[in-house]
Amino acid sequence: MPPERVEVGVRQKSGVAIIDLHGEINAFAEKPLNAAYAEAEGSDPRVILLNFDSVDYINSTGIALIVGLLGRARKSSRSLLAYGLSEHYVEIFSITRLADYMGVFSDEESALANAPM
Amino acid sequence: MAGPEPLTGNSAWRTLAEFAVPSEPGNERQAMERVAEVAQRLDLSHRRLERLKTAVAETVMNAMEHGNNYRPELPVTIQVLESETDLLVRVIDQGGGQLVPDPKVPDLEAKLASQQATRGWGLYLINSMVDKMNTTTGNSRQTVELIVHLEKESHATGAR
Repeated sequence: MPPERVEVGVRQKSGVAIIDLHGEINAFAEKPLNAAYAEAEGSDPRVILLNFDSVDYINSTGIALIVGLLGRARKSSRSLLAYGLSEHYVEIFSITRLADYMGVFSDEESALANAPM
Repeated sequence: MAGPEPLTGNSAWRTLAEFAVPSEPGNERQAMERVAEVAQRLDLSHRRLERLKTAVAETVMNAMEHGNNYRPELPVTIQVLESETDLLVRVIDQGGGQLVPDPKVPDLEAKLASQQATRGWGLYLINSMVDKMNTTTGNSRQTVELIVHLEKESHATGAR
């Protein structure tokens, strides 16, 4: 199995949990992404942000992972938002209708400003 | 660089590249970047190039997983061809006899409600990213063709 191609970190800001993603969101991201989401849930935030600023590749398996996180967020009445996606992946989020279910913002400032608190 | 005749019926094709990757997880990205290196020399906008890259990566991933069962000794062959009007990327695996299902629009609401698996986006993405997709299955291999029109961007804005 190749080394993990994603690095994930969790931080808090203004009562919101932010998951910083670096690298590739594909099958290799499953464990670190789910672990980071569990850590983010630990503070019981109303909103969780996914930061895609440093993500350069998302494939269909990565889309499925994000759908899984969105399902978990809905079940616990949290809002899941995204920011920092490239123009191409904003289009992918639109085509897959992910953008209908999670707010997609250009940067952290606008995501935080529009986060439902 | 022998290969099957393109399925599109256009015989004036010029092969720009042909290579193979072992069927190992993650190799779709290597294939995607090599196709992009060739395609970016053609008349494609950044947006259409990015869409082609996603389509190629997803098609190669499907070929490695469903065609070759991620057996590294079974290669996936990728051919890049150009005509006067189109770019054609062919992805060939060893999965003869297996039909590629028709792309369906995934039911996101059902997936969010855990009524369907969260996976199942690949074919839909491929079909959404290129102008045309053809598939053919023989006894010993399966071929998927991805076709992108080489139009000026001003003519291509209506493309999906």
